[in-house]
Amino acid sequence: MSRLIIRKVAVLGAGVMGAQIAAHCANASVPVILFDLPKEGDPNAIAKKAVDGLKKLDPAPLATRDRAQFIDVANYGSDLEKLRDCDLIIEAIAEKMEWKLDLYAKVAPFIRPDAIFASNTSGLSINALAEGMPEAARSRFCGIHFFNPPRYMALVELIATRSTDPATLDALEAWLTTRLGKSIVRAKDTPNFVANRVGVFSILAVMHHTARMGLGFDEVDALTGPIIGRPKSATYRTADVVGLDTLAHVIGTMDATLADDPWHAYFKSPEWLAGLIAKGALGQKTKGGIFRKEGKVINVLDLASGGYRPSAGEVAPEVLAILKNRNPAEKFAQLRASSHPQAQFLWAIFRDVFHYCACQLGAIADNARDVDFAMRWGFGWQQGPFETWQAAGWQTIANAIKNDIESGAAMTNAPLPAWVFDGRQGVHAPDGSWSAFDAALKPRSTLPVYQRQLFPERVLGEAAPDAGVTLWENDGVRLWNLPAKDARIGIISFKSKMHAVGDEVLDGVLEAIARAERDLDGLVIWHEAPFAVGANLAQVVEACKAGQFDRLEKTVAKFQQASMALKHSAVPTVAAVQGMALGGGCEFVMHATHRVMALESYVGLVEAGVGLIPAGGGCKEFALRAAGLASRAAGGDVFPFIQNMFQTIAMANVSKSALQAVELGFAKESDDILFNANELLHVALARARAIAESGYQPPLVQRAVQVAGRNGIATCEMMLINMKEGGFISEWDYRVARAAATALCGGEVETNAKVSEQWILDVERALFVDLLKTEKTQQRIVHMLETGKPLRN
Amino acid sequence: MKQIQEAYIVAATRTPVAKRNGMFRNVRPDDMLAHVLSAVVAKVPGLDATEIGDVVVGCAMPEAEQGMNVARIGVLLAGLPNTVPGITINRFCSSGLQAVADAAARIRLGEADVMIAAGTESMTVMPQIMGNKISLNPAIFAKDENLGIAFGMGLTAEKVAQQWGIDRAAQDAFAVQSNQRAAAAIAAGAFRDEITPYTVRTHVPGEGGTVRVTERICDTDEGPRGDATVESLGKLKPVFAARGSVTAGNSSQMSDGAGAVLLMSEAAVKRYGVKPIARFCSYSVAGVPPEIMGIGPVEAIPRALKAAGIQQSDLDWIELNEAFAAQALAVMKQLDMDQSRINPQGGAIALGHPLGATGVIRAATLMSAFQRTSARYGMISMCIGTGMGAAGIFEKV
Repeated sequence: MSRLIIRKVAVLGAGVMGAQIAAHCANASVPVILFDLPKEGDPNAIAKKAVDGLKKLDPAPLATRDRAQFIDVANYGSDLEKLRDCDLIIEAIAEKMEWKLDLYAKVAPFIRPDAIFASNTSGLSINALAEGMPEAARSRFCGIHFFNPPRYMALVELIATRSTDPATLDALEAWLTTRLGKSIVRAKDTPNFVANRVGVFSILAVMHHTARMGLGFDEVDALTGPIIGRPKSATYRTADVVGLDTLAHVIGTMDATLADDPWHAYFKSPEWLAGLIAKGALGQKTKGGIFRKEGKVINVLDLASGGYRPSAGEVAPEVLAILKNRNPAEKFAQLRASSHPQAQFLWAIFRDVFHYCACQLGAIADNARDVDFAMRWGFGWQQGPFETWQAAGWQTIANAIKNDIESGAAMTNAPLPAWVFDGRQGVHAPDGSWSAFDAALKPRSTLPVYQRQLFPERVLGEAAPDAGVTLWENDGVRLWNLPAKDARIGIISFKSKMHAVGDEVLDGVLEAIARAERDLDGLVIWHEAPFAVGANLAQVVEACKAGQFDRLEKTVAKFQQASMALKHSAVPTVAAVQGMALGGGCEFVMHATHRVMALESYVGLVEAGVGLIPAGGGCKEFALRAAGLASRAAGGDVFPFIQNMFQTIAMANVSKSALQAVELGFAKESDDILFNANELLHVALARARAIAESGYQPPLVQRAVQVAGRNGIATCEMMLINMKEGGFISEWDYRVARAAATALCGGEVETNAKVSEQWILDVERALFVDLLKTEKTQQRIVHMLETGKPLRN
Repeated sequence: MKQIQEAYIVAATRTPVAKRNGMFRNVRPDDMLAHVLSAVVAKVPGLDATEIGDVVVGCAMPEAEQGMNVARIGVLLAGLPNTVPGITINRFCSSGLQAVADAAARIRLGEADVMIAAGTESMTVMPQIMGNKISLNPAIFAKDENLGIAFGMGLTAEKVAQQWGIDRAAQDAFAVQSNQRAAAAIAAGAFRDEITPYTVRTHVPGEGGTVRVTERICDTDEGPRGDATVESLGKLKPVFAARGSVTAGNSSQMSDGAGAVLLMSEAAVKRYGVKPIARFCSYSVAGVPPEIMGIGPVEAIPRALKAAGIQQSDLDWIELNEAFAAQALAVMKQLDMDQSRINPQGGAIALGHPLGATGVIRAATLMSAFQRTSARYGMISMCIGTGMGAAGIFEKV
């Protein structure tokens, strides 16, 4: 089976996971039926409520609200016939073996023989579940384990049973990768699979050492968050978010199913956890758990007193200094050597996870790469445990663990496996990653879907992919190509921090376009996320301080020139967008011939936040789009279209997905939206080639753009005066937004006047420079640079 | 004032008032108008419709579905003789009352013996509250004293609340009272006589490619929330000012509805042998600064009383439009009005405010009150966007 066509998905179980998986299928333009138990009255009430709930969740499971219309609601009572239309059925009901088996028996007669049936169980045995399916259906049954929230967490663990057809699983992996944008780890059918097995063990180890060393939960969260490359919610707040009852349930599963695990004695919920659950304090969903928000104060459970106290834990300066050391070997050596309890705690939790992973690798995963990726994609760790170990010096760490095992400092005395000491320098090598089960290095999957990922995420020590050939570069950008893919499509990659657009990037873009027109057939702008966070504000502040407003004016003119060059270049330009594309970055996106966007693209003209207006052609593009839309609408009035765009700019709205970027007018219906950001470059190169081959002729520079003019500005001003008088915006917000309105409306000209594109560019540039000269705008820019937050002055 | 004859209201009716996007979301305002025109004519059996001198229709946003001189469209859709003319007039929220005054004036001048005054408004069909196309004059922003023209109505209510010291608690309490009074009046059937039920037919995709038509008889105002409490309203956030007091709960509701009254001269009353309900006494309208438009009735009411030759204390029943609790309370405070006589059956906060129709709709309420109670003098008054107030006085016959 090479291509799996899934025209409709059924999700059984409209709980937190089921509903969100359904939402993500709808995002991916796959219609879905969400089933749950029938209810008296409206039999679909449960599923309906779940779909309504999707619209209120943050972060949003739906890429745009109207995607909910592609989720049909159904119930097991009267709608099982509908399963016959479904090519993929995902079961996501409560984690009770009997319930699942009952449901399987009930639905099996309605499942087409060519459909795939998969369980989203997070811990039950897939082989045992398969027994609940008719024999003939077992080859198309597997585990499909999503992570919460499924739209945003990359990981899906796929688990085969003894009977699963390998080709079916391969096809499902390809579909999940491209269509839903997921990152797949093949897990073995062992309790809690890979990520939760290691992740929950890690939480248990943290709990164990927290109690042993008498640390506060807040202090531990300060130690186990971003400072060691883990999510902001660290350990205990993650537990609150996941739900303390859920966590206890998973721990219970480990207790019940892993009797032979050398760490089995630790698979128990601590007393305080059971106490909280008994009191109904289950974490975020009950507005209180380990942490509890009261007004603006965040309180934390204090084990000594049994009550709550303000959360205040901090990393000690001497420990912070160690953690800031960029040399991992030195960092770990210092942690081990330090007598500070926080350092000892950190070494202990790393040591025990390393110890556990080494001992369990052969049983739970095909190879070490899968464990590391599972922790990155499923738990948001920046680095997996094996990578961390390898980076710190394999043998040094291995011997340190061994010593701790022998001295009784480790959680168990289970010895490290022999392979750890076979003279290796790590588990990841250019040829592959270590498989303890097969005692061999395992290369990456060779499934065809991965050929679409030219620069996939790599683990430490893995071979680098083809870096291409540099054609030209300056300090701002590199122009290069991938001869193996297409030698005549150039790739522009920004070199700047966060891909901010400064003078050198503008020079680079202009030069790259000139070279492409001469030597190439097309251009792609691609680099890792973010696409670009906007103009280089540091350069702007410097020039303001020096009073070099003429120079700034020239830079803005150059920005406009670069935007226009992207749009009117003789060869097509394709923007490959992922992550933030803000301000000037958004303007580049808007001007490119075509956009290939990852679903997770956050696009917006956010200049108002720093007291400015879009002047790299952003206002001009909006004015042009409004005129184009108006010319096709009855009456031909431009203003209704301008009005929405004005709000988008004045409120600095940023899209929460690529689909929303289309709604807001930053991208077009005809653009490509990819669910897997790793495929961006592959698709962008192909798209640039296709446009070039279509006999590409750039669009004409418009000479007669109908604008909203003076009446349009006044009508925008009406909205502003009401917001200002109502105290919603400041006097300066008003002034900045009025400037945006003026540019969008084509300047203080008569309504419906026809102006050239260049006229609007001149208007936005003049207004931009006027604002730059003011103290309040300069204060805003400095504040943004210093704090990363907008100033409302 | 010189007049050659009295003008009498001999019949009045209205639709129930729907919430915006509520039970009338698929009902056109011209259909609502035709409905009340037919109904009010039917209330005078034997009326020779060709005698109707004119049909004056108030509408605050006379465009799109309620454009095209909706008065004339309504006349024709109602099946009145095509010799009956129609004129649409607009003075925003007082359009309906203005229609009654204009119709009465034609009779009082001796130009007509039979007139209809009506009002229709669907706020559902307006894509923006300010009409299909908003376009402000740049000159408004050139002078500070003109800025008030651009103020939203809610913002003007905030200004009134500030200037007259009307706090949030007072506004919410007033809103609760309005809802309770309206709910009680509905329960008591107090609106039954004045409402002509409207059968809404809705066309939706049905089975097998057919269009399914559903019918619903609407006979009750949709707005009142009898269960509203000071606590429940207290949870609402101010809409028009960050630290304001005006909320969705203490403002009038956006609504759809229509109403019509039939007026006759003394001669016509005698000729048709009908019993008039009330005599039209006086009407007044006056301006105030646009940024405090809600205080408008303070200027209009004394003038209307003077023209009618009566005292404020003579008024037994007052329909004071509750555009916002803040402005209604400020008007009462400023004029020292007797709360017990104001909106005994609730006001626009509960019953809704289909802008240009409200004046006629409340005229229907007042006529019903005249027929059911001992009230002698009644008044309808409201504030008007961009800074005006209107008041009309009626005497039971």
